Amino acid sequence: MSFSQIVWKMAKANYRKYIFYYLCNTFAVMFFFVFSTIYFNRQVDEVKISGSIQFLLMTPGVTLVLFTIFFISYAHQIFIKQRRSEFGLFMTLGMTDRDIVKLVLLENTIIGLLSLTSGILGGTIFSRGIFFLLMHSVGIGQVAFHLSSNMFLYTTIAFAIIFLIAVGSSLYHVFTENVIANIKSSKTAAALKNNSPIIGGIGAAFIFISIIGVYLTYAYSNYGGELLFIWAIFTILGVYISLNQFISLFIEFVKRRENYYYPRMLFLTSINYKFKHLTTILTLVISLVMITILYGTLNLSIYSMEKKDVLESKPYDIAFLQTETKNNLDQETVYSIIDQEDNRIQGYQQIPVYTHYERMEDDNWLVSYSFMSIESFQELTSISYELDNNEMLYFINSEFENNEQEEYYQENAYYFADENLEFTLKEIIAGNNINYVSDSAFFIINNTDFEQLESQFDGYKSTIHQINVEDWRETDGATNKLEKNLLAYNKKTPPIMDERTEGSTEEEFFKVDSKIKAFQSIKMENGISFFVMTVLSIIFFLGSFILLYLNLFSEIESEKEKYRKLHAIGITDKEVKQAVTKEIRAIFFIPAIIGAILAFCYFISMMRDIGGVMANPGLLLYFGGITITYLLVQFIFYLYARKKIIYKLM
Amino acid sequence: MAILEANHIVKIYGDIKEDRTTQALNEISLSINKGEFIAIMGASGSGKTTLLNILSGLDKPTSGAVTIAGEKINEISRNQLALFRRQQLGFVFQDFNLLDSLTVKENMALPMILEKKSSADIDQKVQELAALFGIEDILDKYPYQISGGQQQRTAVSRALVNNPSIILADEPTGNLDSASSADIMECFETIVENLASTILLVTHDIFAASYCQKVIFIKDGMIHSSIIRESGREEFAQQIIAELSVIGGRKDVF
Repeated sequence: MSFSQIVWKMAKANYRKYIFYYLCNTFAVMFFFVFSTIYFNRQVDEVKISGSIQFLLMTPGVTLVLFTIFFISYAHQIFIKQRRSEFGLFMTLGMTDRDIVKLVLLENTIIGLLSLTSGILGGTIFSRGIFFLLMHSVGIGQVAFHLSSNMFLYTTIAFAIIFLIAVGSSLYHVFTENVIANIKSSKTAAALKNNSPIIGGIGAAFIFISIIGVYLTYAYSNYGGELLFIWAIFTILGVYISLNQFISLFIEFVKRRENYYYPRMLFLTSINYKFKHLTTILTLVISLVMITILYGTLNLSIYSMEKKDVLESKPYDIAFLQTETKNNLDQETVYSIIDQEDNRIQGYQQIPVYTHYERMEDDNWLVSYSFMSIESFQELTSISYELDNNEMLYFINSEFENNEQEEYYQENAYYFADENLEFTLKEIIAGNNINYVSDSAFFIINNTDFEQLESQFDGYKSTIHQINVEDWRETDGATNKLEKNLLAYNKKTPPIMDERTEGSTEEEFFKVDSKIKAFQSIKMENGISFFVMTVLSIIFFLGSFILLYLNLFSEIESEKEKYRKLHAIGITDKEVKQAVTKEIRAIFFIPAIIGAILAFCYFISMMRDIGGVMANPGLLLYFGGITITYLLVQFIFYLYARKKIIYKLM
Repeated sequence: MAILEANHIVKIYGDIKEDRTTQALNEISLSINKGEFIAIMGASGSGKTTLLNILSGLDKPTSGAVTIAGEKINEISRNQLALFRRQQLGFVFQDFNLLDSLTVKENMALPMILEKKSSADIDQKVQELAALFGIEDILDKYPYQISGGQQQRTAVSRALVNNPSIILADEPTGNLDSASSADIMECFETIVENLASTILLVTHDIFAASYCQKVIFIKDGMIHSSIIRESGREEFAQQIIAELSVIGGRKDVF
């Protein structure tokens, strides 16, 4: 029997170790690949350039890379820890370093290639399934699954680099440690290191400071996004340090109260041991939980706030700007398009405005001044106001939520007009009464002045059309038809090429502004964000679960041994079950709960940006909902893991 | 009064139907009285560990019955057996069977903790036994921080905390050097003398067996013979050697 035959025989006997290692790598590749099918997805890519999704993908992307690096090197460590004692034995029997390198490289190349293939294959199926599921459940029909060369390329490169680093570092360890250390490597790891209250305190301080930091950042600075990343690193570091120390300190403290300690001794010591050995994994799991919950909540919050904003900023369901040559459909035609039997027009306003343009001398900036008669203004706002000739109101078409902004406008509005217009400002009025189709602020003057404007300034006459219907949600067809009709009309008239369309297009300038279209566009953009976040959450959730699960199973032999010993001194099956349940419960839920608490702290702090949580209590519901969902899913997985482990141990 | 009684114990490994069986124990009967200190000796594969496992309820006999302190242990359930073991039996293993994540004190206290004894009782018992076996100084150490002899003394103390009816020891000196072996055997002597306990140990160590009052020899799954110590240890050791040579062991052990 040759040496390679012996190696092959040992490999066959230890096939479980190889399968474990292979599966870990496959999962890592799979996660990467699923992420890249989203990152390089065409539709997502389109939104990425325009919207917030870039920012949304950034942090999870970095986390995913870190996670994968850890995941692979962790799997590799477990694998090599078992192999090292074999290598040590081979080396004492006279195997050369060269032979070992050859063996390691051969093994890892095979496992690496197999993992890559099955990971990409599994990732394709998995990703396809998620796309299919979400498209049908959430109704994001526009994100279609497709494959591109970039997805394969980046996955392969990323995996290859991480894999090589892991292999390289463990080879380094095999050769730098002496033979005896290698043989004993699987045993020495069991020893516990010393605990230090001070270090534990530093860890807690890190977490505390970073959360205060997030709070201050969002409350007082404009660098939220950039600094957030740094604070997050601080938090995670803090979690790592305190996890490593705190459980021990806690046990140290509890030990003095023996009545409490003794009945829980097996559980506490075992958790202490596990937490020490699982510090990195638990930290990672906590980070994943935190990111999943936090981003899920933020995503949902942004969606609901944007929706609210957009709908509130449009006082009318459909609006458009009309001039003599553009959008000039008569009222009858508009009625025939919009007015439906089951969705009657409730109101139709036509407000004449007159817009004058002026170019600033210093920066060539084009400024517009829009005028409206007091009669129209009354019709719009139901505010009656007597205006003499050469008197004006300044109307800002905006509802101010915070005072600072309003003050700014109050102070500056007048000056916009002062130098150019010889009107006396009577009052500044703010209110959201017009859809944004022409200007954001208007000079309100009396009817006589308004009629004479044409002779005083160059300008453009136009009419704002605003329509309300019974239910804006049912206006999709009508709005499309209106758009089509207007577009057809505009094509027949000569194009507009003056100040009005500067920096924009005629089409844009005369576009129909409707609640339904705004709502649809938000739904689409957020739908894609939601989709991306959901996929990432699934990856992260599965990732953290697999990490915990694999770890529990990689230690199952020593656990079995432990319970065999306990059984011999008379522990009952019921007591074993109780002990195992307690332990798994702690390992599954302590990180989840810590992660949720951290996410909550971050969430509260980040809400400073929009006036604090108390101002938006509805967002707390989102947080609660997502957290509870997460914990529920975790609970199902926990039940599964417990069943499996108890079955294996008994 | 017999504290342990075994009647016609038969243990057959393997599938009887397929006729690929090994008979490990063949009609073994024995009876141990309270306060006795007995060793079971035999060559490797003679069935001594199988016998001990059956006597302690860790394994079930193919036929026959074991009674300990009036309880027929092969008639009770697995869980009741576990409870019985921690209340009535003290166990000492060759590989000590200490939990690495617990300190010496915690390891000792474990059977009492499982029994939900009060912490005051636990502390008192642990202190008492630690003093008896001279391990007070290492109570807060972990098993990997102490020597093999200390580990085994811890294991012996653990076996005693619930005041068992009988202590069963499986090769208790098998992993120890001769000085530590002497230590442990002296511990056992102390137990028998001071605590009036009953000890049954399985060993192939003549030195260890020489501490006992009686040695039962097993060969091929059957009781071959037994000798009782009537004089000093060295003389008894010579008797054991002689007996071993009769049943096919080697004579020249020294």
